[in-house]
Amino acid sequence: MTIASTTQLICFAVLAFTVVAGALGVVLLPNVVYAAFLLGGVFLSVAGLYLMLNASFVAAAQVLVYVGAVNVLILFAIMLVNKREDLSAIPGLALRRVLSGLVCGGLFALLIRVAFTTPWGSGPEPVGDEATIRIGEHLFSDYLLPFELASVLLLMAMIGAIVLARRDVFSQDIATGESVDQGLIEKARTPLLLDRSGR
Amino acid sequence: MFVLSGYDAFLGFLLISAAVPVLAIVANKLLAPRSRRGERELTYESGMEPIGGAWIQFNIRYYMFALVFVIFDVETVFLYPWAVAFHRLGLLAFIEALVFIAILVVALAYAWRKGALEWS
Repeated sequence: MTIASTTQLICFAVLAFTVVAGALGVVLLPNVVYAAFLLGGVFLSVAGLYLMLNASFVAAAQVLVYVGAVNVLILFAIMLVNKREDLSAIPGLALRRVLSGLVCGGLFALLIRVAFTTPWGSGPEPVGDEATIRIGEHLFSDYLLPFELASVLLLMAMIGAIVLARRDVFSQDIATGESVDQGLIEKARTPLLLDRSGR
Repeated sequence: MFVLSGYDAFLGFLLISAAVPVLAIVANKLLAPRSRRGERELTYESGMEPIGGAWIQFNIRYYMFALVFVIFDVETVFLYPWAVAFHRLGLLAFIEALVFIAILVVALAYAWRKGALEWS
């Protein structure tokens, strides 16, 4: 066993342990903030696994999109809505746990079956460092239109987010017809949605 | 097996950066005086006295910054293969990427115009 393969084995063991332990922490921890940060750790470890599979572009996209974007949005959503409150137990909790356990166990069994029946090792040769360059060449030749459409999609997402957060396009709430507070940005503590229960 | 041989330095950086917080906390445990009274119990807030707990509802304005950040974060993913393959692609790809960036500059201008980047 050479030094490189030993290093690889140790890296894989550490990353796999981090992924499994972090994912269990996300599910089991009662504090949702800890769960969100652990989810970021799980995403980073998965990016490390991609790196070990010589998929450097997928690893970079994993870090940028999942850790940078998705996890940041999750954390911000927690920061915006979370108030400490006592949650009451959901009725029929045991039945729900059994059902979700069955679904997860079935999915797990399916994945194990796929892992054992797939003929690994066949298929095209991995290109390693070349992969990102190959992706770039395809993106700017035969996948040019989807690439440019992605920027239009991002533009639409930005405008939609600003319109939804500011709500100054609609002067009235769509559902109730009541007038909506203008200029949400300027007023610090205004809730995003009208409080209909209090009226 | 380990085709990406250039990642030895990356692994080194990863180990060093993982050691920094561990060393900081261990050094704190070993060196710091052990009094646990008064202001030692407070959270460190850059020299300011903390007001209230951290478990509060944060301002909606932070979410706007997060959304704008996410848009340009995703843009980076698309520009990364362009930057790596730049020397093979030529002038046409440069113009195509400029079109891509120009459409997103429109988004930035819209956000700016609508005051999404301002705090006041």
